[in-house]
Amino acid sequence: MRKFSLVHFSVNHPKSVVLLTILITLVFMTRFPRITTDTNPKHMLPANSDVRVWNDEVDSTFALYEDMIVLGIVNEKGILNKDTLGKIQRITDEILNIKGVAARDVNSFPTITNVTAEQGVLKVAPLMTKIPESDAEVGSLGKMLYENPLFINRIISKDGKTTAIYVPLEKDANGKEVADKIKEIAGKEKGDEKYYVAGDPVARDTFGAEMFKLMAVFAPIAGMVMLIVRYLMFRDLFLSVTLMMDAMVSIIWSMGLLIAFGFPVHIMSSMAPVFLMAIATDSIHIFNEFYFRYKEKKDKKTAIIETMNAVSRPVRYTALATAVGFGVLLFMNIIPVKVFGGLVAFGTVMLRVLSFSFIPAMFTFVNEEKIEKASRSEDIEFSRTSQLLKSLAGFGTHKPKATVFAGLILFVIAIIGLTKIVVNNNMVEWFKKDSEVRIADRVMNQALGGTSLGYIVALSNEDGFIKTPEAMRYIEGLQRHLEKLHIVGKTSSVADYVKRINLVLHDNDPKYDAVPDTKETIGQYLFLFGMSAKPSDLDNVVDYPFRKANIWVQLKTWDAQAMRDVIEATDEYKKSHPVPMEFKPAGIAYFNLVWNDEVLYDMLRGFIIALIVVFLILVVNFRSVKWAIVGYTPLLFTILLIYGVVGYIGKDFDMPISVLSCLSLGMAVDFAIHFISRFRQHLSEKSEVRSQKSEDAKNLVTDALLWTAARPGKGIMRNAVLFAASFAVMMFASLTPYITVGAFIVSMMLLSAIMTIIYVPALITLLQGWLFCDKCEGGKNKF
Amino acid sequence: MKRYLIALLIVLLPLSASALTADEVMKKSQAAFLYQGKDFKARVMMKLISKSGQERVRELTMLRKNYGASGGEQKYFMYFFQPADVKDMTFMVNKYPAKDDDRWLFVPAINMVRRIAAQDKSSSFVGSDFTYEDVSGRDIEDDTHEIVKEEKLAGKDCYVIKSSPKAGDVDYSYKQSWIDKADFLPVKEEYYDRRGELYRVFTAEEIKEMKGFPTVTKRTMKNLQSGHRTEVTYLKADYNIGIEDSLFSERFLKQPPKKWIE
Repeated sequence: MRKFSLVHFSVNHPKSVVLLTILITLVFMTRFPRITTDTNPKHMLPANSDVRVWNDEVDSTFALYEDMIVLGIVNEKGILNKDTLGKIQRITDEILNIKGVAARDVNSFPTITNVTAEQGVLKVAPLMTKIPESDAEVGSLGKMLYENPLFINRIISKDGKTTAIYVPLEKDANGKEVADKIKEIAGKEKGDEKYYVAGDPVARDTFGAEMFKLMAVFAPIAGMVMLIVRYLMFRDLFLSVTLMMDAMVSIIWSMGLLIAFGFPVHIMSSMAPVFLMAIATDSIHIFNEFYFRYKEKKDKKTAIIETMNAVSRPVRYTALATAVGFGVLLFMNIIPVKVFGGLVAFGTVMLRVLSFSFIPAMFTFVNEEKIEKASRSEDIEFSRTSQLLKSLAGFGTHKPKATVFAGLILFVIAIIGLTKIVVNNNMVEWFKKDSEVRIADRVMNQALGGTSLGYIVALSNEDGFIKTPEAMRYIEGLQRHLEKLHIVGKTSSVADYVKRINLVLHDNDPKYDAVPDTKETIGQYLFLFGMSAKPSDLDNVVDYPFRKANIWVQLKTWDAQAMRDVIEATDEYKKSHPVPMEFKPAGIAYFNLVWNDEVLYDMLRGFIIALIVVFLILVVNFRSVKWAIVGYTPLLFTILLIYGVVGYIGKDFDMPISVLSCLSLGMAVDFAIHFISRFRQHLSEKSEVRSQKSEDAKNLVTDALLWTAARPGKGIMRNAVLFAASFAVMMFASLTPYITVGAFIVSMMLLSAIMTIIYVPALITLLQGWLFCDKCEGGKNKF
Repeated sequence: MKRYLIALLIVLLPLSASALTADEVMKKSQAAFLYQGKDFKARVMMKLISKSGQERVRELTMLRKNYGASGGEQKYFMYFFQPADVKDMTFMVNKYPAKDDDRWLFVPAINMVRRIAAQDKSSSFVGSDFTYEDVSGRDIEDDTHEIVKEEKLAGKDCYVIKSSPKAGDVDYSYKQSWIDKADFLPVKEEYYDRRGELYRVFTAEEIKEMKGFPTVTKRTMKNLQSGHRTEVTYLKADYNIGIEDSLFSERFLKQPPKKWIE
C-alpha cells in the first residue's frame, strides 16, 4: 500500500518530486571526476585468496617480476645482420633508460647472460657486448646463439627472423607509460623490421581504454537507439525522453555510489550502464498501459492512478526478480562480479522507486492532446503488432499439443548441444582477432616459446636437495615430459644452466651435455655461474637454500585448459617416477586456471540459487506453485536453447557467458510475470462480469489468453525489442566479452518474449484443468 | 723573515691540506682502502640477503699482494670455505692498471683450473651486490673527479667527490663518495644509474686499526632497486705477512698451503 501513496504523492506534487530527483542526481554526479578503473585480471580474486598468496610467495622466493613487457622484433630477411643488430643494441640501450624499467633484469642480445668457452677461457658475460662489425663477427654471434639451447625460442626464433626484448617493470611503474615509450623508441627506427609490443600491461591498458569507450560512447549510443525506437513506438518525444531520464538517473545514482564508495570500475561494472538502461525498459509496461487506460478514461490523473494500480504488482515483482538475479552475484568469489551484481541490483531497485515517483510525476506534465493522438493507435483490434501477437498466442492456445511437442524436440536438440559445451577461458581472446594485442601475441607464439607463462615449483624438505643429481635429473626428465604436450613451447630450469656449464667447461664435448654425477660438482657449477651472471639468472630458478626449484613452462595458448594439461602431466610423471619432492603449479597461467574454475563453480552455485529464488518469487507473486511452474517453463526453455546453441557453435563457456546465465534468469522471467499476472487479473475481472458455466469458462480462458497476448503482450514485445536494441549496440564493441554479452542478451530477450507468448498460452490451455482446480475448490480469490 | 714565513706556512697548513684536488683525494683514498701495506690477508664473511630476507653465505680467505705503488699491479688469491659444497674452490685475480684482469678458477669437483674472461667489470662478485670493481678498485684515470662539497658524515669530516666515468663502460652514470679527511677511507658511496636515480649505496660501518692501518672491517652494499643487500665482515685481518710470489700459481690454486688460507 505504501507504493500507492508514493504514486499519489508524486501525482499531487510532481514539481517537488522531479526537482528532488534532479538534486539527488546532481549530488551523485559530483563524484564522477574521481572515477578509477582496474583492469588487472589478478584482482578478479581477492588478495587473500590461496592462489594469489601462493603466487606472491613464488614471485618473492624466485625474485620474479609481476609485470613484463615484451618487444618482438621481426625481420623477414633474418635479424642476424649488422643493421638489425645495431637497432637491437640502440633500442635496448634506450629501454634501459626508461623510468620504471627494472634495467638490471632486461633481457636482450646486449644484456642476456651467455656462458661460453673460447680458446680455453670460460666466459660468463652478456651475449652481445658490442655490435658486430664484420660478417665474421655476425657469424660467430649466430653460432653462439644457436649453440645455447637457453636462447632458442627465447631471444631467437628457430628460423632466425624473430627476437624479443624482455622488459620487466618495477612494482610502482606505470605500464602504459613504459609501453608507449618503447613504441616510440621502436618507431624511430627505419627499415624492414616490424615491432610488436606485448605483455600484461599493454593488454590491461587496451582493456581500460575499451572500458571507457563502452561507458562513454556505447552506453550513450544505446541510450539514443532506445530513444529513437521508443519514439517510433509511441510517437511522443516527451514520454520517450522521460523514460530515458529515468534510466539516466538510475545510472548516475548507481555509478556515483560505486565511485563514492571508492570502488574502481572493472570490466563487469563498465557494462552496468547498458544493463540499467535495458532494465529501465521495464517501465514500458507502465507507458503501454497508460496509453490504453488513457484512451478508455480520457482523464490523465485517473489514467495514471489506474495504470499504476494495474501494473504495480507485476512491475514490482519483475524488479524484485531482476534485483535478485543480480543480487545473487554478491555471493560469488569473483570481486568484479560481486561489485557488478550489487551495482545493478541497486540500480534496479532505484529504477522501481523512480517508476512509482518520478514517472507518474512526469506524466502529469504531458500535453493531453499529444497523448490523445498517440493513444489512438493503441487499439488491440487495429494494431498490427497486437494482431501478430494474438496469432502467435493463438498458435499455442489452439494447438497446444503440437506446440509442446515441437518444444520437446527442440529441448532434446538443446540438451545434445549442452553436452558439447567446453568450459574454457582465454584472456587474450577477449581481444578481437585483428587487435594489436592479439596480433602481437600470435606473432610471438608462432616464433618463440609461448607468451602464457606458468611455473611448476619443485618443493623438497631438505636444504640443498635441489643440488643433488637426483633432483636435477628429475627436473630435466619432467621438462622433457612436459615438452611432449603440444601446448608447451619451451621449458627452462636450473638443470639447463647446470648442463650448459658442464658442456662448456668440457669444451663442448657432447658427452657432457648432461647433469653431472655429484652434488659437489653441481654446487660448484652453480657457484661458478653465479660468480659472474646476473643474480636474477639463478634467483629465478632456485631459492636461496636450494630447497625449491622453479620450472618455467611457456605455453603457446592462453587457454586455461593448457595449464590443467601441464598439471596433469606433472602428476602423471610424479606417479610413475616417485621422488621426495612435491610439485605445485604457479604463475599467471595457473591463476587463470584457478580463476576459470572459480568462475564455473561460482556460476553453478549462483545459477542454482537464482533458480530457487526466482521460482520462489514466482510462487509468492502468483500465490501458487502451479502457476509458478507454468511461468518458469518458457524461461528455462529459453536458457536451455541458448546454451544449446553455445554448445553447437563451439563458443567457449567463459567468464562472461557463465555470469550471464545467472542474470538471464532474473531478466527473462519478467515476461512470464507480466503475462501471467495480467492474464489472471483480466480473467478475474471478466469472470466477475460473466456468469460461470463450464463451457463459458473455457472460452473465457481462451479469450483472456488472446487479450493478454495482444495487450500486455505488446508491452512485452516492446520491452524485448527495446532491450535487444540497446544491447545490440554492444555487438559493435571491440572487446569480445562485450560482444558476447550483447549477442547473448539480444537473443535471450527476443527468444524469451516469443517463448512466453507461445508457450505460456499453450501450457495454460493444456493444463487448465489442473491449474484452475484449486480455484473451483478454493474460490476465485485465488486468481 | 724566515720565522714569518714559517708562521705563515703554519697558518696556511690546514688550508693547504684542504686544497687537495679531487684526483689527489681519490688517489689517497685508493691507497688507504685498497693498497694498504705490502700485502694483506682477511677472513671474510659475506652475507647475501634478499629483499624477502633469504640469506646466502660466502666465507673465504682473501690474500692480496701489491706489485708496485698504489694504483699499480696487484694479485688476489681467494679460498672458499662456504657454501659447503664449494669448499676448496679457489679463485685468483691478477689486476693490472689500464688492462683487463686475468682470472683463474679452480673447480675441485672436477679437478680443473679454468681461466675466466674478465670483460665485464660491473658484473657481480660471487653473486653479491659488490662488483669485481668494487672489490679490487677502478683506475683513477677512468673517471673525472670533482669535489662537490665538504661535509660531516657520521661525525667525520668528509670530502664529497663526484666521479663520472669517461666511457660508458659501467652501469652507473656517476658515483658520489664521502671520503674521510682523516684516514681517507670511504664512509659512504652512492651510485646513480643512467637515469640519474640512486640505485646502490655503499656504507662502511666499522673501522678498526690493524698493524696501524685503519681498515674497514664491516661494510654493506645495498641495491635500492632490487632490495637486495650484501654485508661483508672481516673476521680476521692482517697486513705485511710476507706472502710469497709462488702462491699465485696454478699449483697452489689446486692445493693452497694451509698456513695462508687459515
